[in-house]
Amino acid sequence: MSSKGLLRGASVSANAVWHRSSFFPKVTVSVHRKLFKFRSFSSTATTCSSLQPPDLPRLAKTAQISLTPNEVEEIAPKIQQVIDWLGQLQSVDLESVEPSIRAETENNLRENAPETFDHRDGMIASVPSYEEPYIKVPRVLSMD
Amino acid sequence: MASTIFRSLQVQPFLLYPTTLLRRRNGVFQFTTKATQSQAETQQRQPQSKVSTSTQSKKLDKIPKDYEAIIGIETHVQLSTLTKAFCGCPYSYGSPPNSSICPICMGLPGALPVLNSKVIEFAVKLGLALNCNLAFNSKFDRKQYFYPDLPKGYQISQFDVPIATAGFLDVDIPVEFGGGHKRFGITRVHMEEDAGKLLHAENGNYSQVDLNRAGVPLLEIVSEPDMRNGIEAAEYAAELQRLVRYLGVSNGNMQEGSLRCDVNVSIRPIGQSKFGTKVEIKNLNSFSSVGRAIDFEISRQVQLHSQGQEDQIVQETRLWEEGSQRTITMRKKEGLADYRYFPEPDLPAVILSQEYVDGIKNSLPELPEIKRRRYEQMGLSMQDVLFLANDKNIAEFFEATLAKGADPKLVANWIMSDIAAFMKNEKLTINEIKLTPEELSELIASIKGGTISGKIGKEILFELLAKGGTVKEIIEKKDLVQIVDPVEIETMVDKVIAENPKQLEQYRGGKTKLQGFFAGQVMKLSKGKANPGLLNKILLEKLNSKS
Repeated sequence: MSSKGLLRGASVSANAVWHRSSFFPKVTVSVHRKLFKFRSFSSTATTCSSLQPPDLPRLAKTAQISLTPNEVEEIAPKIQQVIDWLGQLQSVDLESVEPSIRAETENNLRENAPETFDHRDGMIASVPSYEEPYIKVPRVLSMD
Repeated sequence: MASTIFRSLQVQPFLLYPTTLLRRRNGVFQFTTKATQSQAETQQRQPQSKVSTSTQSKKLDKIPKDYEAIIGIETHVQLSTLTKAFCGCPYSYGSPPNSSICPICMGLPGALPVLNSKVIEFAVKLGLALNCNLAFNSKFDRKQYFYPDLPKGYQISQFDVPIATAGFLDVDIPVEFGGGHKRFGITRVHMEEDAGKLLHAENGNYSQVDLNRAGVPLLEIVSEPDMRNGIEAAEYAAELQRLVRYLGVSNGNMQEGSLRCDVNVSIRPIGQSKFGTKVEIKNLNSFSSVGRAIDFEISRQVQLHSQGQEDQIVQETRLWEEGSQRTITMRKKEGLADYRYFPEPDLPAVILSQEYVDGIKNSLPELPEIKRRRYEQMGLSMQDVLFLANDKNIAEFFEATLAKGADPKLVANWIMSDIAAFMKNEKLTINEIKLTPEELSELIASIKGGTISGKIGKEILFELLAKGGTVKEIIEKKDLVQIVDPVEIETMVDKVIAENPKQLEQYRGGKTKLQGFFAGQVMKLSKGKANPGLLNKILLEKLNSKS
């Protein structure tokens, strides 16, 4: 199964663990280290070390999913399992490997030519709360 | 934090010419730095006492001397591609809400983004123009947060591998603010998409979202914190606008939102190496607001500092209130936002080839900075240079006229005085006036060659501007050829003198100023065609000979 499939099919919380820098190649340039310094999970050890357990309440908050304490207890070990399973990647020695950005060697680009979407009405019809010509949403003033 | 080019502040006594750009406020003390020709030299600090025209206490006068402001600007430029970044929806400002949308920019499940090739081209153009290093391999990342105008719940942006880094922009400070050249560093340029528009209903507890703008390509330009005051910041922003317009990547209208600036301001006592607390200011809608907001914020921070209350300066985002001319707190956020960046799995890497980059480099137009230097070398004054090079179209008109053989100084004068005034009155751009560069050149040549007088030239210009046509046609049609035949002029002078014996008496009696009266009468008689120099020579002879 491609990594793309994992992302798309997996639950939101599992997707959230992708941000952990430990999954990136060990030959991280100092830029990576500097940029990820605010994450508490970054690991720079070269041997296979146990990864920190996820902060589930924080994960849930950033994903805007509310969990009861029972659910936290129930889900945490499951997430830990996913992390451990992915953590197998840490045993790979990447000392002599150049970090790469992506696997592709070609761009996949589109011409700058306008195209109108045919079924606008269908999309509008599926908007839960639409007050012509705007999408109606609860009043939100900040990102918090 | 990237290393900054440290310049210590050279404080200039506040220059007392009136400006609308800077306004005095209670507690606000504006100061300007005097730019030097060489940016590499650190400037000497001159502890001069200031002359204040306000009624502030003497204490405030001393404050700005001891602090320097560190200012950085983040600019978002909306690209004028026909379509959005990741889908084929067209974008045009002012369209009916939610009229240009599709599953991709609406973030509907299953939709996949595909990058618009024009976006890369514009990004490379701008990166090269800003003297940046280009990343031949860069990627997109997801910047995740929830907000009603962000359909996917994340913004496709570039996080750790932007397409361009480590550049600079050379700027000319306007003459009225001290002049001089300054170089400001550019930390990075990266591609990203815009969010939709969120409107808050007057009443009620709901808001409204228009997704026309969602997915429009943006280039974010982050500067090094090299600016030291509001004027430098405003000029940096103005030069960016000039640049994106010259390159044709954006129309750079702050009013439309196609050029947006957020500034970061902090202060520190001079000599301290540690940076002070950084405050971000949003809601700046014009270059003058940029300048004023920064100056206000500097003085606000300086005041707190000098009162021993620097802990009251917190890292926050403040809004600039145009009405009350001050910055006010938005809700303070706790801690930094966690955007959980990760590489966008739905998009491949962005790969540039040397040929591609070279192709774009060779197609770059002459940049404003280079143009200004070239105009300077023609012997034009800085004022002329800044005006002519400001607008690409005016520069083109100017250069087209020069190409026909006209003298730069003369062309500059015509453009900046009569032509500019006409454009302003009629609210026309230089591309809309009927005057062509060829005819302007012809006009200048005609005056220089003596065919017509300068005054007649102005009249002809007006007709050319309004109705077009050629100089030769108008001269013929209106019989405007200058009279340079001394005999003809002499005849007219004799006539005027004969018809005005009283004034002649007065002149002979000592009122030599009346020469002007006689000259005017001859001019009238000749329908303005008499050559002024010749006229006055002959007139003087006649007036003085008979005495």
